[in-house]
Amino acid sequence: MKRSLKLGTSLLALAFVASTAHAEAYGPYPITEKSYSGDKTNSVSYSGQVARSLLVDALKKLASKGDGGGNAAELEAQMMAYFNGSDADLPILSHKDKNDFVIKQTTLNEVSKGKNVSGKSYKGLMPAWPGNMTGAEVLEDMIKRAAKSNGGFDAETGMDWPQLIQKFALGAMAYNQAVDNYLDEKLTAEEKPNNKPYKDGAHYTGKEHSWDEGFGYFGAAAHSANLSGEQNYNITKFKDAGAADANGDGVIDLKTEMVYGNAYYAASYDKGGKTDYMATIMKAYIDGRKLITDADGAALTDEQRAQLVAYADVIGTEWEKVLAESVFKYAGSVYKDIAALRAAEGDDATAEAYRKYGKHWGELKGFSMALQSGKNNLGGTAVRLNRLIGFGPVTMDETVVTGIDGDGNFVKDAKMSWNAYQLNMLKVQDLMVKKFGVEARVNDGTADLSDLVKQLDSDSGGAETD
Amino acid sequence: MEFFDQIISLFSDFTNPKKRVFAGYLGISVLIALAWLIFVHKTTLRDGFRRIFDPRVWFSRSAWADYKIFVINRIFTGFISPLLLTQVIIATAVYTALISSDLEFWGVWEDASKPLVIGLFSLAMFVVDDFTKYLMHRWMHKWPILWPIHKVHHAAETMTPMTVYRVHPLEGVLYASRSAVAQGSVISLFYYLFGNTVDLYTILGVNVLVFVFHVTGSNLRHSHIDIRYPKWLEHVLISPAQHQLHHSVAEEHFDKNFGAALAVWDWLFGSLHVSEHEKELTFGLDASEKHSPTELTKIYFGPLREMGNVCVSGFTRFRRSASRIMEIPKGARERRRG
Repeated sequence: MKRSLKLGTSLLALAFVASTAHAEAYGPYPITEKSYSGDKTNSVSYSGQVARSLLVDALKKLASKGDGGGNAAELEAQMMAYFNGSDADLPILSHKDKNDFVIKQTTLNEVSKGKNVSGKSYKGLMPAWPGNMTGAEVLEDMIKRAAKSNGGFDAETGMDWPQLIQKFALGAMAYNQAVDNYLDEKLTAEEKPNNKPYKDGAHYTGKEHSWDEGFGYFGAAAHSANLSGEQNYNITKFKDAGAADANGDGVIDLKTEMVYGNAYYAASYDKGGKTDYMATIMKAYIDGRKLITDADGAALTDEQRAQLVAYADVIGTEWEKVLAESVFKYAGSVYKDIAALRAAEGDDATAEAYRKYGKHWGELKGFSMALQSGKNNLGGTAVRLNRLIGFGPVTMDETVVTGIDGDGNFVKDAKMSWNAYQLNMLKVQDLMVKKFGVEARVNDGTADLSDLVKQLDSDSGGAETD
Repeated sequence: MEFFDQIISLFSDFTNPKKRVFAGYLGISVLIALAWLIFVHKTTLRDGFRRIFDPRVWFSRSAWADYKIFVINRIFTGFISPLLLTQVIIATAVYTALISSDLEFWGVWEDASKPLVIGLFSLAMFVVDDFTKYLMHRWMHKWPILWPIHKVHHAAETMTPMTVYRVHPLEGVLYASRSAVAQGSVISLFYYLFGNTVDLYTILGVNVLVFVFHVTGSNLRHSHIDIRYPKWLEHVLISPAQHQLHHSVAEEHFDKNFGAALAVWDWLFGSLHVSEHEKELTFGLDASEKHSPTELTKIYFGPLREMGNVCVSGFTRFRRSASRIMEIPKGARERRRG
């Protein structure tokens, strides 16, 4: 009896230890590529994707540097260097020493050489933007307009270029490349097989590196699965160096210890406690990578590839939901901003409220376009989304952007009431719930109603029977 | 300590102005009853008190059953209420349906005068709530599947304000859901049309109209004090005597006066019966109903068995008529054989 009790207790203790043990990090994983004879021991490599995240973040920084036209040419050239890539070793603009974060790299070449954004941006048509352009062309168009703007904001159209560029690129580049390329086409038997190096002389196999690149675009730190939503969120915000510095060397390695874009948003929703995007996505990435590693350099069987595709589906579905959560969140922000804007008194307060509204609209629009940059054709959902949000926000005189003329100037020949636009934001939120099943629902526009119901607490004797 | 708190919470309705049995309303009801007895029935103050607190009413076997049911139902409600549809869920669903529709009335009157909106909203909440109470009460009587559970309430042979709690738990669930749907819909519709202006006129946190209903003697509906209103008023508001008539065993009183506060619904749908002078009423059920007013197991489980029987006999009827429809006429059968 006593023995079985002891055994039971130990088993219980073991189970407890197992359940609280840390999840794995993404890598390091051993070399399985048989043709490789060098001295590298870790086959994981996705520094190119990290560099691209840093390029996008640099574009966001630069997009707010315009002085209203005076520095337009110079600024455009500078931004284009980050967009198209440069022979020069560009400085990292977004991630510099701050608080107790000491950043290991200061230039892009220290992360990865020869990378650009334009070559890896959505090549399909982006109907959410006027002018019949591809995703990549839209980004370029935005960059050029940003260079001419004053501080990144165009009050006449309500466009906030830093937000539009960065948020759209999260989809047009990162999401698109991951779910529509590396975790899609490159998982076929013919493309990048596992029994050959990714390219001649590489220390990783075709499938290993394809999967790693898919992971790199997501933007998580290698150890993100071991961290809470709050910790991952705080790393991006430069607030928790302890959580970031996984190897404890006192510096933050931008290649493996930083959380970028899409992963940051996943964590930000998980922080609210209703979702588990980061853990779900990380698990799928890690399980997929282990499956490839376990194949030990042999070509993957159809069964193994089917399993890999299943992991990729989990990643794609959850990632899409994270983007839809962002559309939901910023539609809620715009909804609130319109109320605040209409309540604002005086020129200064109005201008301030309008600026905030423009910023959130940029995030909304950017994410809504990002959502349409994946491999799924959203069909009617995209049409509805684009019509509800419009090409531009309702501006101070209630006009909205309706297109681009032959000279590339925005046309504003339609009006919309604040009221109608505010309602559109609620409809956008409803669409995200119905089509993507978003769960975190930050800035829910119906929250005021819920509060009202609770505040009225009017259920007086509802169950009383006569 | 926690146990003690739970005991106290069982009786929280007596301190909650949103509930009919709030001590303040009960106190006012005693005063109204006294005034009625003294000024209309010309009794003395002492006899008035004796009549109101008649132990044959308050300590009858039927009343004791009321008290026990009150406690049991309170415990049951504690378990079941988290599972029920809430106003928030209904309101959000209705509101979402409205905003995602092609209707173009969102916030159309958000600049309307605040007092007007609050007045309209307070009235709408009261009227819609009252009307849905009428409807549900009517169904409770008219639908064979619901009558077995509503019988529990009508089995009371003496009535005190506590008889309002003599309800089968299933009826409680139906009434609470009705309330959530009715009020949730009104709130969301008003919020859809008027935006953030929506609010209630309240006294002690209660809709002012509900408050008026309670301070004018809602508790006397379940009592033996036969307060009547003038005939014309009994077409608008249900008097305590009219509701007592609803509980009468006399056949001519069956299925009359389903209304809660307003009599207009009964008037409109032909179920109104004004009170009758000097007619002694007997409360309870007809003997044919075979329902015990006091045995708890029968009170709680009897209706379930009866509802089962209703379902079985309904199914049998359906099967018979279905087979009649499917049956091949004799002549046709013979023709086929030939």
